[in-house]
Amino acid sequence: MRDTPLSNCERLFLLKAIEEKKRLDGRQTYDYRNIKITFGTDYGCCSVELGKTRVFCQVSGELVPPKDSRPTEGIMFFNLELSPMASPAFEPNRQSELLVTLNRQLERCLRNSKCIDTESLCVVSGEKVWQIRVDVHVLNHDGNLMDAASIAAISALSHFRRPDVAIQGRDVTVFSPEERDPIPLSIYHMPICVSFAFFLQGSYLLVDPCEREERVKDGLLVIAMNKHREICSIQSSGGIMLLKDQVLRCSKIASVKVSEITELINKALENDRKIRKEGGKFGFAESMPKERITTLKRDEVPVEMTDVKETASDIVDRTETTAEVVPSAVLVGMGTAQIGEGIVNSWALEEDEEDEPQTEDRKTDEVMVISDINSLNLSSSLTHKSATYPRNSLCNVF
Amino acid sequence: MAVEMRLPAVHKPISLAASQSNRDDKHLVVPGDVITSDTGFMRGHGTYMDEDRLTASVAGEVERVNKLICVRPLKTRYNGEVGDVVIGRITEVQQKRWKVETNSRLDSVLLLSSVNLPGGELRRRSAQDELAMRDYLQEGDLISAEVQSIFSDGALSLHTRSLKYGKLGQGVLVLVSPSIVKRQKTHFHNLPCGASIILGNNGYVWLYPTPGHQDEEAGGYYTSMEPVSLSDREVISRLRNCLLALAAHKVLLYDTSVLYCYEASLTHQIKDILKPEIIGRARCVTSRAQLACANMAVPATTNDYKKSAESYET
Repeated sequence: MRDTPLSNCERLFLLKAIEEKKRLDGRQTYDYRNIKITFGTDYGCCSVELGKTRVFCQVSGELVPPKDSRPTEGIMFFNLELSPMASPAFEPNRQSELLVTLNRQLERCLRNSKCIDTESLCVVSGEKVWQIRVDVHVLNHDGNLMDAASIAAISALSHFRRPDVAIQGRDVTVFSPEERDPIPLSIYHMPICVSFAFFLQGSYLLVDPCEREERVKDGLLVIAMNKHREICSIQSSGGIMLLKDQVLRCSKIASVKVSEITELINKALENDRKIRKEGGKFGFAESMPKERITTLKRDEVPVEMTDVKETASDIVDRTETTAEVVPSAVLVGMGTAQIGEGIVNSWALEEDEEDEPQTEDRKTDEVMVISDINSLNLSSSLTHKSATYPRNSLCNVF
Repeated sequence: MAVEMRLPAVHKPISLAASQSNRDDKHLVVPGDVITSDTGFMRGHGTYMDEDRLTASVAGEVERVNKLICVRPLKTRYNGEVGDVVIGRITEVQQKRWKVETNSRLDSVLLLSSVNLPGGELRRRSAQDELAMRDYLQEGDLISAEVQSIFSDGALSLHTRSLKYGKLGQGVLVLVSPSIVKRQKTHFHNLPCGASIILGNNGYVWLYPTPGHQDEEAGGYYTSMEPVSLSDREVISRLRNCLLALAAHKVLLYDTSVLYCYEASLTHQIKDILKPEIIGRARCVTSRAQLACANMAVPATTNDYKKSAESYET
């Protein structure tokens, strides 16, 4: 399904805002959105949330014969999938340009940078090596898929543990996780992609564009770097002309961001390791906050109202009138008026009355009473609600 | 600045006498529901055979015509019919045609030969016209057009060969579901409240200030860039909120229903119309007005609105 095209006024609005250095979500030009990294119960399972963009990565390994050209090296296989869950524009089994770009960039970032030691993945030279497979699934597309995918991939690789193997001559024994602890992969460094979006022929740039900003961008610059300030890959797309000092400035910004993100990843890995060691609960279920909404939902309950009028008029006659009666509204400002002075907070007293059966009417009454007290000469249509007058008026008229 | 807060509460379902009786007659299904186990029926759109049982594949109402059973979905992309008025946005400029996005499964096509050349000339389109296509309509422009024919794959072929169709200028576009726009004789209305409306069959509704004088030779490409007055803007904003309120309750949209809703909303502030309780109230008033109208005689045009409104008040 084709995405609805952006309307002209929306496009103009976004570009005008960018000219004034304003972003839709209030971020600054170089700010990243909130990054949240969570690990699953299995080793090598990681979910990254970059604002609303959500990416899921799973790393798995199996023993296979190696490539003929490289008999002593393990095999790394990268795969990124855009599921229709992420955006209505993504169709299943359709090779779109975006998919190819993301896949190529992910491979370049992780494979060509040699961040994983493939020699250590060799078990029996020429016969059996580990094939590490990295599967990245995009769950929600809200811009900047490349960064989120690279963070997820490198976190999952750092989190992954491969089974321990023992070699005796030509025999290879693979131990299950219960027999022997699995071993982490040997990772030299963590390359992370940072995306810069350019607008208005390269005059304005934004870091970490969201989906709307991506739609109006002119060009994109993706720099993959690690925290040792080594550039692993640079890709510029969109056909805009970039000046040398622009690219240098972007790489400086990228090094700052990459060191922050690497710290975040290490912290998340450390937390996960600690929890697993202490035997606490880990996994996706634990990382999701328990959302509770307290509602004031009450079902309608019938109320006995036969002698309400008499009881109400008795009570009204018996109670004293308040000292001050403010008959009219006082205009405080534009669109704001004040009637009366307000009463002492009576919320705490609500709990005492919890025992008595409360009705829907009484709930609305407690809001109305505040203004009722100051204007007792209301029409008779409201007197039927003053069934609760005795309790509330005694509380409120001090 | 005053801030409004509301706590989550249960929405009371609005029950109207008319809708209750309608609901019993309709046979509503959800995907997976078995419609019938009788094998004598032919299956139409929205159904599939699941082990000898006719099952629904979309959520909607079952329609039966003699031996043909089909399910008409409640929420669907726009399915074009010849003669419909649609509002669309240009997505691509190709050789001798424009691709227009009209909320249907495929982008509609507007051929160069189906548009009026500015100046109202009637001649064969030359190569020069082809090169100047972008001057007439660009990507992102909104147009109103009529469906001329349907291609075999379901794509619509549009035309703007009338002075009332063409590029749209200043106004507000409201997106609603195509199934709630009523099929009428005319979809262009000048509402008495001071704005004009185009109810596209594809669910796109265009609100714009009533043009002061009609330009004969404009031919649909002249878009006035004069600033719109504040009163006109307020009317259009109120109409837009009314449309959204009606769409939220799946009320059929046509000129009189929009007008009734507008009149009912005059007691509230424009921004308050979008609150859930006001939406419910506006819907009740509108339905009551519609029923009162239906009882006396269906007003065909907005001229009868005034008479029906008076009878409704009394």
